[in-house]
Amino acid sequence: MSARLPRSRREFLWQSGGGLGGLALASLLASEQSAAGGVTAPNSHSAFRTPHFPARAKRVVQLFMAGAASHLDLFDFKPELVKRDGQPSDFGEHVEAFQDGLGPWKKPVWEFRPYGQSGKMLSDAVADLGHVADELAFIHNVVGKTGVHSQATLLQATGFNLPGFPGMGSWVSYGLGTENENLPTFVVLPDHRGLASNGVKNWDAAFLPQQHSGTVIYPGSETPIADLFPHKKGEFVTRDSEAAAHAMMAKLNLAHATARAGDDRLESRIRSYELAARMQLAAPEALDLSKEPDYLLRSYGIDNSRKEWPKEINAEEEADIFGRKCLVARRLLERGVRFVQIWSGNDNGFPRRNWDSHEDIERDHGPLARGMARGASALIQDLKQRGLLDDTIILWTTEFGRMPSTQGGKGRDHNPFVFTNWLCGGGIKRGVTHGESDQWGYKPLNRNAPTTCYDIHATMLHLLGIHHEHLTFRHNGIDRRLTDVHGDIIKEILA
Amino acid sequence: MKLLATVLSLAALAVPAEAASAKPSSTDWWSLKPLVRPAVPPIGNQQSATGNPIDAFILAKLREQKLTPAPSADRGTLIRRLTFDLHGLPPSPEEVDQFEQDAAPQAYERLVERLLASPRYGERWARHWLDVVHYGESNGFGMDRPRLQAWPYRDYVIAALNADKPYARFVHEQLAADAMFPEDASLVPALGFAAAGPFNQSALVEQVDGTDCKRMALNLDRDDMVASTASTFLSLTVHCARCHEHKFDPISQQDYYRLQAVFAGVGRAERTFDADPQVRVRRTGLRGLIADLEKNPDAHPPTAAERGSLATAQRAWEKSLAAQAANWTPLSIEQVTSTNSTTTFTKLDDGSWLATGTAADKDVYTVRARVTLPAITALRLEVLPDDRLPARGPGRQDNGNLHLSEIRVSLAGTNVTEKPKPIALRNASADFNQAGWSIERALDGKPETAWGIHPQVGKPHHAVFELAQPSAVTNGVTLIVQLDQLHGQRHLIGRFRLSATDKPQPVRAPTLPVELLAKLARPDAERTEAERKQLFDLHRLVYLREQLAQLPAEQRVWAIAADFAPLRNYKPTKEPPPIAVLHRGDIKQPLATVGPGALAVVGTLPAEFALPNAQDEAARRAALARWITAPENMLTWRSIVNRVWHWHFGRGLVDTPNDFGRMGSLPTHPELLDWLAVEFRDSGGSLKQLHKLIVSSATYRQKSSIQSSVSSVQTGRSPAPASLTEHWKLNTEYFQRAAATDASNAYLWRMNRPRLDAEAFRDALLAASGKLDLTMGGPSAMQFKFDDPNKEVAPRVDYAAFDPDNPASYRRSVYRFLFRNLNDPLLEALDAVDPSLSTPIRNSTITPLQALSLWNNRFVLRQCEHLAARVEREATGLEAQITRAFRLLCTRAPSREEMALLTEHAHQHGLAHACRVMVNLNDFLFVN
Repeated sequence: MSARLPRSRREFLWQSGGGLGGLALASLLASEQSAAGGVTAPNSHSAFRTPHFPARAKRVVQLFMAGAASHLDLFDFKPELVKRDGQPSDFGEHVEAFQDGLGPWKKPVWEFRPYGQSGKMLSDAVADLGHVADELAFIHNVVGKTGVHSQATLLQATGFNLPGFPGMGSWVSYGLGTENENLPTFVVLPDHRGLASNGVKNWDAAFLPQQHSGTVIYPGSETPIADLFPHKKGEFVTRDSEAAAHAMMAKLNLAHATARAGDDRLESRIRSYELAARMQLAAPEALDLSKEPDYLLRSYGIDNSRKEWPKEINAEEEADIFGRKCLVARRLLERGVRFVQIWSGNDNGFPRRNWDSHEDIERDHGPLARGMARGASALIQDLKQRGLLDDTIILWTTEFGRMPSTQGGKGRDHNPFVFTNWLCGGGIKRGVTHGESDQWGYKPLNRNAPTTCYDIHATMLHLLGIHHEHLTFRHNGIDRRLTDVHGDIIKEILA
Repeated sequence: MKLLATVLSLAALAVPAEAASAKPSSTDWWSLKPLVRPAVPPIGNQQSATGNPIDAFILAKLREQKLTPAPSADRGTLIRRLTFDLHGLPPSPEEVDQFEQDAAPQAYERLVERLLASPRYGERWARHWLDVVHYGESNGFGMDRPRLQAWPYRDYVIAALNADKPYARFVHEQLAADAMFPEDASLVPALGFAAAGPFNQSALVEQVDGTDCKRMALNLDRDDMVASTASTFLSLTVHCARCHEHKFDPISQQDYYRLQAVFAGVGRAERTFDADPQVRVRRTGLRGLIADLEKNPDAHPPTAAERGSLATAQRAWEKSLAAQAANWTPLSIEQVTSTNSTTTFTKLDDGSWLATGTAADKDVYTVRARVTLPAITALRLEVLPDDRLPARGPGRQDNGNLHLSEIRVSLAGTNVTEKPKPIALRNASADFNQAGWSIERALDGKPETAWGIHPQVGKPHHAVFELAQPSAVTNGVTLIVQLDQLHGQRHLIGRFRLSATDKPQPVRAPTLPVELLAKLARPDAERTEAERKQLFDLHRLVYLREQLAQLPAEQRVWAIAADFAPLRNYKPTKEPPPIAVLHRGDIKQPLATVGPGALAVVGTLPAEFALPNAQDEAARRAALARWITAPENMLTWRSIVNRVWHWHFGRGLVDTPNDFGRMGSLPTHPELLDWLAVEFRDSGGSLKQLHKLIVSSATYRQKSSIQSSVSSVQTGRSPAPASLTEHWKLNTEYFQRAAATDASNAYLWRMNRPRLDAEAFRDALLAASGKLDLTMGGPSAMQFKFDDPNKEVAPRVDYAAFDPDNPASYRRSVYRFLFRNLNDPLLEALDAVDPSLSTPIRNSTITPLQALSLWNNRFVLRQCEHLAARVEREATGLEAQITRAFRLLCTRAPSREEMALLTEHAHQHGLAHACRVMVNLNDFLFVN
C-alpha cells in the first residue's frame, strides 16, 4: 500500500493539475473550506487570493543552446580581441581551463555590425536577429559555477547544479497552472538528433507533481507525443472500439466512484480520460503547419521543397530544423501552452551537432547560429505582429560561454566565468544592454556585480506575477525554490 | 474555468508560516527525546476485536476526535489489500477462493504468514527501500554511463528482507559490511548503499585533482552520501548544514562535516569480491605471489614439489607454443595511403610504416602489398611504439591509444577495370584487448565498435586474422588491406607492420612478446643458463596467472570502496583526506578541520568517535553504523517504524518520513510511534514481526469507504447521480462529520485507498496476462531498445521500439534497468521515482498524459491481447472469460450490469478490447 494518499484534498487538487478536477471539485473545495476553516497550515493559500504582482507576461519561450554557445562570436563584441588576434593570451591571473584553452587570443570568427536604433553590434552569424535588435535586452555578465556541461546545463535549466530539481517550466506550470487543459502546460521541443546533457532531467518535474513535467514533443515525427494514440502494433484497436470503450469506461468508472463517496480521485480519473481524448484532437491540430502561408514558412527558414539534406552540417538545414520548432512554439503559445523550451544541439557526440566547438567555431557555430537566428528572429516578429509578444517572454540561454583564447587550433574552451543571455517580450525593456564583460569577454567587467541564473529566473517570475521567494514546495524538509536562496530582480531590464 | 485555474494554482504560492519561528537552542523537540515505552491506553469496553495494542492507540485518538473506526472489510477486499501491500501483486482467483472459503479462525493470520514467507515480499519491499536510498543504474549527470554492476546491491536488499535480517544488522552491513563482517565477503554488495546515488563523472573523472571544479564535485559527492545516510536512517535533513548552521534544527556545520569525514576515504567504483571464502583466500595468495615475483623473480623460491610440477607444466607449455608458432613473412608493401591529405607514411628499416603529419579525427589507411608466399592462411597486424608518437604510441591519440574499427582485405584486380575481390577474414585474436574493445570488434562489420589497446600503451601489440578461404591468395597477387579507424578523436594507428603466414590453420596471436618467442624456438640444450632462468621465471608467472584465471570469476558490485582501480583522474586516496568545515559551503573558504563523528543533537550518545586509529577509513564507517543503531539513538528506531507504517497505510504517523525536524510534520500518534519503536527495537528489530503486528490490527483491516448506497450499475437501478457533489449529500450524517473532522484520514477512521504505483501496475498487468516471469535476481532487465551500449557519452535508448514480447519485458519491475536520465514513459506517467534524490513518499498523480499512457502504450495493449488469449484458454464461453479476466485484474467478479456491458463490448470489438477497458478501470487501479 505504498501509493501515497494526498495529505489533504487541497494538495490533491494540485496533484491533479490546475483545473483538471473541474467544477465538481471546485465546489468540493469550496465546501471543504467552509466546513474546515483554515486547515492545513503549510500550503494554505488563503493569504494569496491575488497574484503577488500584476503580471506583465503569461507565457515563456526558452531557447537553450546545448554545448555552450560562444558569446564572443555571436553577441558580445570585443574590439580588443580583433586587435590582439593571434598574440599569446595573458589573463593577468591564474586561469583554470577546462581542457587546454589558454592558447593565443582569438578574434571573433565573424564581422560585427551595428543594428537598429540601439546600434547593437551583432555578428554576421546572427545577422537575422538584426531585424529585432531593438526588441532585445542583452545581459553580457552572466556567470556560471563550473565548466562541466551537465552541471552547467542543470544550473541554467533548473537553478541547481545537481540533478533532482524541477525545470523552470515545471515551476511556472506549478505556479500558474494551465491556460488550456487540452494541451500540456510545459512543452519541450528537443533537438531531434538527441537530448542535451542530462537527458530528461533538464525538464523533469522532480519532486513536483508529475503533470508539471515537460511534455516532449517531436513535431513532424510519427509519434510526436508518446502514447498520444494507440500504438500501431495494437491492431485490435479500431476507431469504433475506441469510441465505444470511452463511453462504457466512463459509465463503469462512474458507478465505481459513486459507490465510494468522498474520493475525488476516482472522478478525476474519469475526467482525465475526457481530457486525454481532447488532447488527441488538440495536439495534432496545434502541430500541423500545413495551413501556415508560404511566406511565413519562408520567414522561419522552413523549406518544404527539400527532401534531402547534405551529410555535412549546413545553415539551410539548421534553419529548417530550428524554424519548425519556433513556428510550432508560436502555435502552442497561441493555444494556451505556458512554457515552451526549444533546444538547439544534442549531447557531446561526434560529429558535432551542438555548440561545444572545441575544435572549430566556424564549422559548428556557423550553421547552428544562422539557423537559430533565422527562427528566433521570425518568431519574435511573428509574435509581435499577432500582439502576443507583449505578454510572452523569450529567453535565449546556454550552458556557459567560450574562452577569448584558442585551444591551439580553431576552437575555444569552456568559459563558465562569463557569458551572454538575452531576453525580450512581455515586460522586458527594448533594445538595451545591461551588464558588461571585461575587455576580453573573460569575466564580468565588474566582478562584484555579476548576473546569475537566479537573477534571470527571479526577473522572469516577477514578470509572470510571482514573487520568486514565495513559489515554494517542501521536499524532504526544505522549502525548495527555483532560485534556491538567491536571486535579485534585474530592474534595469524591466520596461 | 479560467478563474478556477487561477484559484487552484495560487495555492502553490504559499509562504510557510511556521518557517519564521526561531531556531531552537536546545534539543527540546519530540523526535530527539529519549525513547520510553508508553503505556497502552485503556479503552474500556470498546476493546479492539483483535486485542492488538495498535488499535488501542488508534481508538484512543479517534475517541478524542469523536470518531469511530470503520467495520472490517470483507475477505475479498482484505486479500487484495494484503497481497498488493506485501507482494505488489494481485491475488490469483484461486487464492481468493481459498481464503474466502477458509473457515478456520486463523485464516487471516495464515494468509499473512504465507505472504510474508514468499520471496515476492522481499521484491516488493526492496523497491520501497530503493526509493529511499535513490538507487539508480547509471551515473546520471551529463555522461549517464550505465552501471552494469549495481544490481548486486538490489539483490542484497531483496535477500536481506526475505531473510528478515534484524534491522541493526541491516544498517551495519550497508554502511560497513567490510569493516564489521570482514570474514563474510558475500555481504560486500550491501556497500552499494552509499554509492547508489548519481556520480558526476565529467567532473570527478575528467578533471585533474586540485582544481576548483574537482574539489567542488568531491564535496558534493560526499554530500550525497551524508545526505542519503542521514535521511535514510535518521530522518534528518543534515545536508542543510553544508552551507550554514541548520536554520530550523539544532545541527551545526561541525556536525555535518564530521559526517563528511566518515566518508572522506571512499570513492564510488566497481568493487570486486569473492563470496566463497576459499576462493578469496586462494585468489589473495596468488595475487600476492604474482605481484612479488613480477618485482623480483627470486622473491619466493619454489619448493621442491613446486619445482617438479612447474617443470612438467613448462614442458607442455613450450610444446604447445611450438605447435602454435608460425613463421611470419612481412608483406611487400608498395603503397600506403590515408583518406586525410595531411597524413603521410614513411617506411622504416624494419619493414614497418610510420604515420606522420596532422592526425584527422577519423581515417582509413589503405595498404597495397604484393604476396610472396605460395598461399596465405593468416595475416598479422603489428602496431608498434615509437618515440615520435604521443605517449610513445602505438596510436596517435594523446593517450597513445588507437581504435581499429574494421579491417577489410581484398584482392586487387589484374587490370584497372577489374574490381577488387573481397577476402573474408575470421577468428581474430590479439595479444591484448582493451576492456570493451576486443579484437573481434574489428571483424563485426560495425563501424562503431573497434579494437583498442588502452591502457597497455607504449608497447608493441599484434593481432592475427585467419583467411576464411586460404586458397584464394597465392604468390604474386596484390592485396589491398583497408584499416578503418572511425571512432573519432584521433584514435588512429601510428606505426604498423603487416605480415603473412602459410602455416596451416588454426593460427592465433600468441599472448607472449615477439622477442621471447624467438628464444623459445631454440631447443633447451642450446639455451644459455641465463636464458633458461629467464624462461623458467617467465613460465612460472604464466603458470600462476593461469591458476588465477582458472578461479571462478570475481563478482563485482558498484559500491563505496577505499581501494579501487583508478579511472583516469579518479583515484583512491591512501588514507582519508582531512575534512574542513567550509564557510558558506564554499570550497575556497575552509575553516577548522574536523574528525569523523556524528550529530551532537542526539544527546544520549557521544558525537565524536573515539577510534584507536583515526585514519582507519573503514573503522569510521563502522563507528557511524554502531552510533546509528545504538538503542539510545531514538531517531533510528522512530524512523524505521514510521517508514513501515507509511508503506502500509500510505501515510506515516509522521507524514514527512525523511524529516523529523522542525520543517517536518508532527506525529499524529506520538505514543503509538514510540510504542512501536521500542517494541521493534527490544524484540530484535524483525521487520516481518512488525508487518505482522500492523496488518493484523483491526485498524488495518477497516473498510476504506463508507458505502451508504449501492451503485446503480450493481443494482440496475436508475442512473447514478450527476456528480459526486450531489452524491455527497446522500451519505450518512456520520460520514459527513468524519470527512469534515478529518478529511485526510490522519486518524484512520477508515482504511486508505491507494492508487497502484508504477511497478504494481506493471507487475499486476503481467500477472493477469499470465506473462509474469518470476525469475529472481541477476543483471537488470533492459526493457528498452539499446543500440549502442559502448557509447561513452549519454547513451540513447528507445522504450517505444522495445518488443513487449522480449523475455526481458516479463520480469518484475524491481528488476528493470533504471537509467537516471532516460525514464520509461509508461512508468513515469505513474509517478515512478526519479533516483536523483531520495523519495520517501511516492507522488500519486492523475493526469491526462497518464490516461493516454494506460490507454495507448504498446506494452499495455500487448498485455491486453495476452490476457484475452489466456482467458480464452482457461474458460469457455464469453461470460466466463470476462469473469476470469475481471477477477484476475480486480479480484472480485463483475456485477450483472458490468457483465452485460463488457460482454456486449467484447462481441462488438473483441475480447482483447474488452480487456483494454478492464485494465483502465478504477476498480483495477485502486486498492480498497
